Amino acid sequence: MTRNRKLLKTFRRFGYVAAILFTVAVSERSLAQQNQDIDILIKGGHVIDPKNSIDGLMDVAIREGKISQVASNIPVANAKRVVDAKGLYVTPGLIDMHAHVFIGNDLDAYIANAQTSVPPDGFTFRSGVTTVVDAGSSGWRNFRLFKEQTIDRAQTRVLALLNIVGTGMTGRFEEQDMSDMNPVMTAHMVKKLFPNIIVGIKSAHFWGDFTQVDRAVEAGKLAGVPVMVDFGEHDPPNSIESLFMQHLRPGDIFTHTFSYGPKQRETIVDENGKVKPFVFAAQKRGLIFDVGHGGGAFSWRQAVPAMKQGFKPDVISTDLHTQSMNGGMKDLANVISKFLNMGMTLQDAVARTTVNPARVINRPELGHLSPGTEADVAIFNLRKGDFGFLDVRGLKLQGNQKLEAELTIRAGRIVWDLNGISAPVWDTVK
Amino acid sequence: MHKTFFVVTVWLVSFAFHASGQEIDLLIKNGHVIDPRNNINARMDVAITGGMIFQVAPGIAESRAKKVVDASGLYVSPGFIDIHTHVFVGTKPGFANGTSSISPDDFACRSGVTTVVDAGTSGWRNFPVFREQVINRSKTRILAFLSIGGTGLSGKSAQEDLDDMNPDSTFLMFKKYPETIVGIKIGHYEGSDWTPFDRALTAASKAGIPLFVECHLPQYSLEDQLKRMRPGDIITHSFEKVSERMSVVDEEGRVRPFVKEAQKRGILFDLGHGGAGFWFSEAVPALKQGLGPNSFGTDLHRNSVNAGMKDMMNVMSKYLAMGMKKEDVILRGTWAPARSIKREDLGNLSKGAPADVVVWSIRKGKFGFVDAGGNRIEGDQKMEAELTLREGKVVWDLNGLTAKKFEIK
Repeated sequence: MTRNRKLLKTFRRFGYVAAILFTVAVSERSLAQQNQDIDILIKGGHVIDPKNSIDGLMDVAIREGKISQVASNIPVANAKRVVDAKGLYVTPGLIDMHAHVFIGNDLDAYIANAQTSVPPDGFTFRSGVTTVVDAGSSGWRNFRLFKEQTIDRAQTRVLALLNIVGTGMTGRFEEQDMSDMNPVMTAHMVKKLFPNIIVGIKSAHFWGDFTQVDRAVEAGKLAGVPVMVDFGEHDPPNSIESLFMQHLRPGDIFTHTFSYGPKQRETIVDENGKVKPFVFAAQKRGLIFDVGHGGGAFSWRQAVPAMKQGFKPDVISTDLHTQSMNGGMKDLANVISKFLNMGMTLQDAVARTTVNPARVINRPELGHLSPGTEADVAIFNLRKGDFGFLDVRGLKLQGNQKLEAELTIRAGRIVWDLNGISAPVWDTVK
Repeated sequence: MHKTFFVVTVWLVSFAFHASGQEIDLLIKNGHVIDPRNNINARMDVAITGGMIFQVAPGIAESRAKKVVDASGLYVSPGFIDIHTHVFVGTKPGFANGTSSISPDDFACRSGVTTVVDAGTSGWRNFPVFREQVINRSKTRILAFLSIGGTGLSGKSAQEDLDDMNPDSTFLMFKKYPETIVGIKIGHYEGSDWTPFDRALTAASKAGIPLFVECHLPQYSLEDQLKRMRPGDIITHSFEKVSERMSVVDEEGRVRPFVKEAQKRGILFDLGHGGAGFWFSEAVPALKQGLGPNSFGTDLHRNSVNAGMKDMMNVMSKYLAMGMKKEDVILRGTWAPARSIKREDLGNLSKGAPADVVVWSIRKGKFGFVDAGGNRIEGDQKMEAELTLREGKVVWDLNGLTAKKFEIK
């Protein structure tokens, strides 16, 4: 009996040991297997991931389209493809929160289904952008066409702000039509029909009073999403203090922040070069200031003094369309470079193109490199040299650094590789 | 006597006005001008007036110009000509009036290209739509090779339809728009019947313009294609390595004799990079044996712009990396393609030519260039477009060469 018990005990002990050994073996094996399954390993880059407070040399591992690990010294042996990012910066794929990509052939229209819009893929990846937010090119009447024509066919992730005007940006006169600004229908589109794509409401190009903004905010409240306002075609200008403090809510977005066209648009910096006090107060209150560079909405005379006085935009964006693409704007990397040369740190600029816009549009899964998220990644080099940067008035600011997108990954796929850092040298391949 | 005095006075006054006045709209000073058409390869100034080239000479006085651009340390060339693009952009799936095509202005201006030739995305049936929708609305000059298929690149069933390959209708469309249609294209046909090829050739002969031959003709041998082509006809995707067409070099890396023969006979080889049309394994040995591209057609479309191709200057930079001299690269980006499409008004800086000009730099550093197979070549220089002018108008200014400095008052 005792003997048997002893034997049993021994067996049990052996069993425990075996079980432990087995577990260790299995976990080691699964670890190895996991490591062998790294599809792309980005080695030795300086990772800037503001959401996760990462700012230093790290490796980034991607597996099955997702971020699997961000850590120092992930072994190369376990990766199918290794990208040497020494001397380069690695960031989450950028989010351009203000673009116009509803391209189409309505030859009478302005931006909605029209040629002032551009297809996103040709501009995004080459500047490190993986997500764009179309800023109200479509309204509830033509959003489905936009989705079918552009959103569903783009490699870039395209999200949208829905215009409070039913036909979106079809033309200036349609945009004044108060009988076509329907908050309920707009909110249904956001909340009931396309909650995965539509992230907010847009109010723009209105010549009247605050009616359009108020309708957009009404829709925003019904749908629980932010409103972006392009507020600048009033003659004489409407008060932006009233806009910021009375009409918009914390979390709503003021775009074209550094625009200068005082006859129709009240500026944030006064004629003596001082940022108006209520602008700081509005930002403190939670109003979001978006750059929205565009073809007419970024002037050094606004941006330079604002930056000097400590007023930084919350989000850096392009307002990409045909009238901005070949002018002072060019692409998001160029717009970011302007801020770097005005003294913003790269870390601050990356936050303003990743985690900040993701928060503003309430898409917490975007704009960071946390394990398990879709692998949207950008790799940049920071060029040193003598560069000029144009504003929309044809004035230039000299700078000595410029951001250039080396490699862009969208959902784990390499979609841009400027210098072939992910490619083998041709005569080494058989 | 009185009349003579008047004439002389007017002449003197106008001369004085011109001399002291500013008859030059834009003067590009101190750049290194490379204009192969006019054998210019030296430091010169380029004066532009009324959207045209006014003068190319050293030491043109700044006082004569309304605006001066300092191009010290930079190169100045005729705007580049990309003879293989797909720009019939629209909303349909695919190329013709579709989303696989792209707007030329999105990519041309920033890479120094001022003229593109659309490579048969349209045929005689839909060319008018292309013209109205895109050609008439672009800043980039758009010319076209008309596809022998009536609806161009409108999907396989349309492209294979022999009944819709009408040389007469194709010719008539050329007669209607001779200033835009510069060639006829045959490129997509899966049968072994030579009728499509011959009809394209018939239309091209009748119009007196070149035939542009693309590779998607799997049943035609390369040798037969080249044999049927006339001197001045253009074959594209010259350095591809695909199952659809035999490579120009053999397994040992030697340019095939019949290819050399065709080159000697005056067949023109366009690069046609695209997503699959350019491989270092073919292009490097070919270049070493004297077969370089006559033109750097990019095969610009939705899928090539983010791949190894990127843009025309990137393609040109590949040849710098492969050892071609920059003067030869510029020749193949300007005058050679202009001649190949019989548009000798383009691709040069002769007095009176449209002021399509690119100011560019050579960036030094460590660069990589990728081919269609995802293989890389390394180089230490890369061309970059600083300023692009289209008929004298600034359509691209990378670093604000034409801009005033911002100053806080």
